[in-house]
Amino acid sequence: MEGQEQLMLVMSNITKRFPGIVANDHVNFALRKGEIHTLLGENGAGKSTLMNVLDGIYYPDEGEITIEGKRVDLRSPLDSMKHGIGMIHQHFMLVDSLSVIENVILGLESQGFYIDKKSVAHQIEAIAKKYNFRVDPYAKIWQLSVGEQQRVEIIKTLFKGARILILDEPTAVLTPQESEELFGILREMKSEGKSIIFISHKLNEVMSISDRVTVLRKGQLVGTVDTVSITERELAKMMIGRDVLFRLERKDIEQGREVLKVEDAQAYNDRGIMALNKLNITVHGGEIMGVAGVAGNGQVELAECITGLRHLVSGHVTVEGIDVTNATPCTLASAGVNYIPADRLGVGLVPNLSTVDNAMLRKYKQQPMRRGTFIDYAAACTYADGLIEKFDIAVPLKNAPVKVLSGGNMQKLLLAREIEENPRLLIAEHPTRGLDVGATEFVRKILLEQRDNGVAVLLISEDLDEILMVADRVAVMYEGRIVGIVDAHHVDIAQIGLMMAGAVGAKA
Amino acid sequence: MLRFEKRDKTPIQLRVLVPICSVLLGLLMGSVVMLFAHVNPLRVYGAIVKGAFGSAYTFSETLVIAVPLILMSVGLCLVYRMKFFNIGAKGQYIIGAICGSYLALFGPATMSRPLLLTLMMVLGTLGGALWAIIPALLKVYWNVNEVIVTLLLNYIASYILWFFMYGTWGTRGFPLSKNFALNAQLPRILPPPSRLHIGLFFGLAAAVIIWIIIRKTRFGYETRVLGENERAARYAGINVFKTVIIAAVISGGLAGLAGIAHTSAVLRVLQLEINSDYGYTAIIAAWLAGLDPLVAVGISVLLAALEAGGYQIQIVMRVPFGIVGVIESSILFCLLAGEIVTHYRVILTRRLSTPPGSTPRIGKKCSVALDERARGGA
Repeated sequence: MEGQEQLMLVMSNITKRFPGIVANDHVNFALRKGEIHTLLGENGAGKSTLMNVLDGIYYPDEGEITIEGKRVDLRSPLDSMKHGIGMIHQHFMLVDSLSVIENVILGLESQGFYIDKKSVAHQIEAIAKKYNFRVDPYAKIWQLSVGEQQRVEIIKTLFKGARILILDEPTAVLTPQESEELFGILREMKSEGKSIIFISHKLNEVMSISDRVTVLRKGQLVGTVDTVSITERELAKMMIGRDVLFRLERKDIEQGREVLKVEDAQAYNDRGIMALNKLNITVHGGEIMGVAGVAGNGQVELAECITGLRHLVSGHVTVEGIDVTNATPCTLASAGVNYIPADRLGVGLVPNLSTVDNAMLRKYKQQPMRRGTFIDYAAACTYADGLIEKFDIAVPLKNAPVKVLSGGNMQKLLLAREIEENPRLLIAEHPTRGLDVGATEFVRKILLEQRDNGVAVLLISEDLDEILMVADRVAVMYEGRIVGIVDAHHVDIAQIGLMMAGAVGAKA
Repeated sequence: MLRFEKRDKTPIQLRVLVPICSVLLGLLMGSVVMLFAHVNPLRVYGAIVKGAFGSAYTFSETLVIAVPLILMSVGLCLVYRMKFFNIGAKGQYIIGAICGSYLALFGPATMSRPLLLTLMMVLGTLGGALWAIIPALLKVYWNVNEVIVTLLLNYIASYILWFFMYGTWGTRGFPLSKNFALNAQLPRILPPPSRLHIGLFFGLAAAVIIWIIIRKTRFGYETRVLGENERAARYAGINVFKTVIIAAVISGGLAGLAGIAHTSAVLRVLQLEINSDYGYTAIIAAWLAGLDPLVAVGISVLLAALEAGGYQIQIVMRVPFGIVGVIESSILFCLLAGEIVTHYRVILTRRLSTPPGSTPRIGKKCSVALDERARGGA
């Protein structure tokens, strides 16, 4: 079907299975010479797996790869490099304390014992000049901005003779200006005859930079389309899937008063980039507010700011009218804020301590466990037993470390511990991630129960289905802002998809 | 090819057998070295046992060495559980000795003995605590690695001691202070020549108190949670700053107390060599005890026996004292190696058993990690 075009790369029937999941299910992908081809899909759609197969990091269970008509066997990144494939990862693979030159030649076998830095520097400058950008070959990586570091990554792949470049969400770490400059470089490379695979979920970028788009959903190929013959709206629909969905039974209850109010919140993420950009959101008692969005648009930071784990640079957080901006976890606890973190074992539980120790983490300072400076371990045991029974948690040994529990039971324990605090605001971050069907249903039921009891629930999830199933309203986050809030009862999926991809602004 | 599989639970017989076998293996390794030195290992071990436990006197000398080891190792049990790796017990010991000795040497002569001794012990404890607060503050404010800070502070403490000994505190140009007056000597509890002193009770009391703190109190619970998962601790409203500082103060204070007690009761003089290397032996004692303060008491006595016996073989058999170091480190080496057997199941395999083509080609280490994950998910 694409015979008249010169095909650079064909991946056919690629299947890659991981325990319990098929990450790529007979996926076909073809790349032409001199094109920019976007790979589009939600988190977990299988984009990264497919590209890791191409980069030799994963070896596919089935399927074959041909480059310029010749079948290739890519068993390591070195193999891929030899075939002219270079990948620029989202998190750069650079050594901070080394210079640009040293990073570029790192791992190159062609370099002899003696390194001719001068000639390497000339080559680096020549590559940079060809694509109209500048890089100081002698600069150390830590001295460079994120955008410059990305260019070093690009030079690294070009220096090694890459003809196929894979960029994994390259704009996620860039400012808009830097993104524009990157696009300039990419277009230049395209006119040089290089083929570029661009991974993204930002629709506006996809439309502006790419010639064709291949959409994946849940490990399967949805289709490949020419960018000129499709609208953003159609792309969003391809990415997200069907329009109909199933909602869980819920009581009609009176919406309560305002519980959580976040005003003009601004905060940095761990890499020092502004992750919350004057964000505003309000959640009422007796409602579940779902926060949808592609990962990395500030959802984690939002949860952390409300729960006191991250510092707000500016803005306000109030819970039932009490200002809890940058409050200590203690104050938040007394304000009735409870949190089911995404990272169960990293934030929520203490993996090496026992079920009892973990169950009492929120209660050990209170009666009846408090006995002066001592802890009444008998009372703690009784309390843990109560939780185990009430929430039907399967615990083989109460004194064994919680890390031996299954994911579902860990989550139940965490949920039980937080619910027992009688929250007024419950923040649940990816509460069903990695759980089996039974545990998932249980967790969702508990969330709805809390809502029916008048608790304000903020549900942050990457799983749009989940949000549409349990939430009353859906707030869509994009680049650190809520770009729109829609009623979950009569929702326009395509609209949400467009908002998630940053294609449309706020609409009530 | 060997494969290691993590155990969920260690069978009790392994917990007992592995350490015993490790010690025996360590003794065997020590024997090999002794054969090279042309001495009979059995006679050497016999001499060590005799030198450590042979008579009431030798046993009391063993306990003299055990006292500072106990005081320091139980404090370390607490901070190590919090994953605050204080290896500066040596420095805290020295500073404690200096601070307490100041009162002994320059305090008012008219002060009553109980009051003077109490003040000396308090000052020594405070000195050690101060020396431990420095790395704790650096840690909580700027996340500075406490291992490096405490290690370097050991050297600083040593040189401070040198400064005083070669300076104003020395006598007639010798790096020795004047002898402590009787009022400044911590009482010994057995008739001479035994040097065993009431510091033993400090040590035993400290072990029990630390055990209670770890097992029964809110503070002990907080240190455990903090050590295992700092983010969870912060989220649960645990005051990280306060917890780290208090624990560091306790461990440093105990080391300082060990320093002044040993100086005042056993040496009765401040000098360059005040056995501060016990600060490193205490680290070994704490780890060998599995960070349990009560077990640490027993381990401290055993390590002290090795040390006391070592002096004996040096004198009686003219064997270099270094042999003791060899034995000690062989035992430690075997004990640490034994940990692998207690924590992992060792499986002998011919090849990594993975179906062809399904393994990510990123090396063997990774595929093992994936296997692990697969099991965890199942």
